[in-house]
Amino acid sequence: MSIVLDQVTKRYQGAPVVNDVSLEVAEGEFFVLLGPSGSGKSTLLRAIAGLTSVDHGRIHLHGQDVTHLSARQRGVGFVFQNYALFKHMTVGENIEFALRVRRMKAAERVKRRKELLRLVALEGMDDRLPTQLSGGQQQRVAVARALAHKPQVLLLDEPFGALDAKIREELRRTIRQVQRELKITTVLVTHDQEEAFALADRIGVMNLGRLLETGKPEELYASPATRFVATFLGAANLLLARQTAQGICFGRMPVRTQVSERAETTREHEVVAVLRPEEIELAPTRDALRTSFIANGVVEEVVFTGALERLRVRIDNDSAEEARLAAVSSDSQPANAVLEVTRTQHEQRAFPVTLQQTVAIGVRRIHVLPTPLSSYTACGPTSEAVQRLVRHPFLTELAARMKTRIAVRTEAALGQLDTDKPASEPITGVAVISSSGNVARQVEWLLRNGAGEIMVLPAHVAAPRRVLIHWADDVVRRSTLAVAASLLRHVPAEAVYLGILPSHSDESQKPIGVRSLLDARSEAQAVHGLEMRTELHFGAAGEELHRQLSEAPDQMLILGISNMQQIHEEFGALFAAPASYSMMVVYRSAKEIDQAARADHARGDHVRDEAPVKARERAAIGR
Amino acid sequence: MSVRTPSILPGFGITLGYTTFFLSAIVLIPLAALVAKAGTMGWREFLDVLLDPRAVASYRLSFGASLLAATLNGVFGFIIAWTLVRYDFPGRKLIDALIDMPFALPTAVSGIALTAVFAENGWIGQYLAPLGIKVAYTWIGIVVALTLIGLPFVVRSVQPALLEVQRDLEDAAETLGAGRFYIFRRIIFPTVMPALLTGFTMAFARAIGEYGSVIFIAGNLPMKTEITPLLIVIKLEQFDYTGAAALGFIMLVISFIMLLSINLLQAWGRRRLVAAGR
Repeated sequence: MSIVLDQVTKRYQGAPVVNDVSLEVAEGEFFVLLGPSGSGKSTLLRAIAGLTSVDHGRIHLHGQDVTHLSARQRGVGFVFQNYALFKHMTVGENIEFALRVRRMKAAERVKRRKELLRLVALEGMDDRLPTQLSGGQQQRVAVARALAHKPQVLLLDEPFGALDAKIREELRRTIRQVQRELKITTVLVTHDQEEAFALADRIGVMNLGRLLETGKPEELYASPATRFVATFLGAANLLLARQTAQGICFGRMPVRTQVSERAETTREHEVVAVLRPEEIELAPTRDALRTSFIANGVVEEVVFTGALERLRVRIDNDSAEEARLAAVSSDSQPANAVLEVTRTQHEQRAFPVTLQQTVAIGVRRIHVLPTPLSSYTACGPTSEAVQRLVRHPFLTELAARMKTRIAVRTEAALGQLDTDKPASEPITGVAVISSSGNVARQVEWLLRNGAGEIMVLPAHVAAPRRVLIHWADDVVRRSTLAVAASLLRHVPAEAVYLGILPSHSDESQKPIGVRSLLDARSEAQAVHGLEMRTELHFGAAGEELHRQLSEAPDQMLILGISNMQQIHEEFGALFAAPASYSMMVVYRSAKEIDQAARADHARGDHVRDEAPVKARERAAIGR
Repeated sequence: MSVRTPSILPGFGITLGYTTFFLSAIVLIPLAALVAKAGTMGWREFLDVLLDPRAVASYRLSFGASLLAATLNGVFGFIIAWTLVRYDFPGRKLIDALIDMPFALPTAVSGIALTAVFAENGWIGQYLAPLGIKVAYTWIGIVVALTLIGLPFVVRSVQPALLEVQRDLEDAAETLGAGRFYIFRRIIFPTVMPALLTGFTMAFARAIGEYGSVIFIAGNLPMKTEITPLLIVIKLEQFDYTGAAALGFIMLVISFIMLLSINLLQAWGRRRLVAAGR
């Protein structure tokens, strides 16, 4: 490994700008850090170079721990966005700077200078001053200067930012050529996904200081694991769908199409589906479609962009048989979503469309995000209670950050105790209830009616700063971790896994407890990319958790259970009294987990045990 | 270029007119009068005044002390500017405001204050006296006074230049393996040099013309601590107007030559910076 980052964290005035980033870049690899401005990508790059110190974590370059070495001692090549050329020196003097510092002999210096100028195609420019060169040429000089002392790592911080499109492309090609020729490990920071695709062997996407996913460009594009990566890398339509035993359903009928899915349970549940604009087909009628029909729609906008045509098509829910499609984004009307569609010249000729025309929409390929948190459904016995929940600040903040919607559901049964009256239709998404009334009863009723995740919110609770994680048994371990990882991507809180041993357990059981903690931590990190701390406690699980949660404000619990009786018995203490903390209950029965595993096995899908992120990591390391 | 060529920028005629008028009224005409007055003397008389040993001693003192004071200001003014720009510490704003004080203070007041402090029984003078260092009433005192007067010029011209040195340049040099002193010598100093030279020139020019503060601390012993401006005042008090004018004229010539050469040096440096490409 050429560059290894281990849990690197950098804070500015208490707020983390780089949050727990672990990353490995292989020898000779071209790695691109991609992210919006303010995502911490430049800070991370400066940390690798030693220009910024880190608050936590370690940085290794070629096996050597350089965390506490200065930029001078690390000796990496660094190219700045604004070139940072020494204006009072000529091009030649700029390039020779690193060699002069190292007291290299004049003759050798000149030889190296000529070599570098040839490499960046600036022969004969030795005596020019930087101000006499164009922006593109200046950046070439900066690249040559950064390579003069033969660094083993080249870091580029938005090197094309200040250049216009044409020169940008030319310089991009030069840098790729230079990188190939020297086989130098390179990390480039950019906010331009096109640039990332054009240059990278591997891309890492950052947002809000976290490294969300890494992988080969085509893999990340085809099967992203998070909403952010799906929408940041190219355009994407995110739709809520249902995962059933038959496959993905937008309406009643399953969509017969290529689906990259990772069903973890056979129970019917809501998922977030990614439809790329170019994977959508339009036809005059449903029968004329060559791909799987999802709905009818009305063309709202047509933009010609040369090679491609961009359309916005509003899904017509009434005409689509039973297909109530909902966009994930909360800012569009949940009832009728707008799809972005791109079509090639060929498709345009085959079926020209005009504004306001009704078309049938089909889809070639659907990718299902592995996130267990698709959308929220506020549930309560009366519509006032539901409306109070919908306006809950923490819930609205969470939904906005996840760019998802909050549906509402009024169920009188939630108010009446001891009723077995079923829900009007199965509960979808994360069910949200307030913590008033008989919480245990309500949770059980929701679980019986199809809910897999339930959030219990007290009326006055802020976003948590500490999230405790606990599961009843190993059946729900994986699901609980997945929910925790998904939630913590959107909440800037510290994650702590609590292992609890019975209070009467003797010393001999302690090592087993500690080992389970470590296993949990490494699984969270490896499979879900979640960094969490661990604590071992003794006592009755429910009481101990309640005690921990009541001790300090702004805490939240993510609790995995596999048996409804656990609500009343093992964890009864958590549901008995009106709590001051919020809770997320994750429920998976042993039966459904078992069935899903068997179904997977039948399909011969052996990589199932590893989340896509990790699988990609493996692929990169093996290369 | 002909003045009548239509220019893209309007207002050339009127601005040039004002420039000429003000330069004439405030600088050129009084100087011409000075030269004219000196010109009423015969050559012999003129040279007698100029080459009077007392006068020659005063030139040496005036220009020597000014040069030394400007140099001291160049060094310490740079350090002060560096401290103010690069570090944030409590009281930074206060010190920043204090820098301008010598501008505002009547120079006579500065002179009296310095004399009180550096006299043999003054706050600082009493500790220097046992070491055999006399400041007040010697040439050292003159240098101290001139340094005080010229300090703001250097600090105020270096400050903006230092602010403009991009941190990226230093970061770049550091990644290329340069140590702190190397970065200072090869990156920061060359960038700030023109501004420092400007500050030095202004401090020097101001020091040559200074009168008020120096006469209090100098002691004014003929041949020893008598500066040329004082000599001019003495001549005026004796109603020797032409003698005073002759001394003024020679100061004018020497100052002009020195300032011109510094400016040329600066222009040469800039040209090397901007247009070295062939």
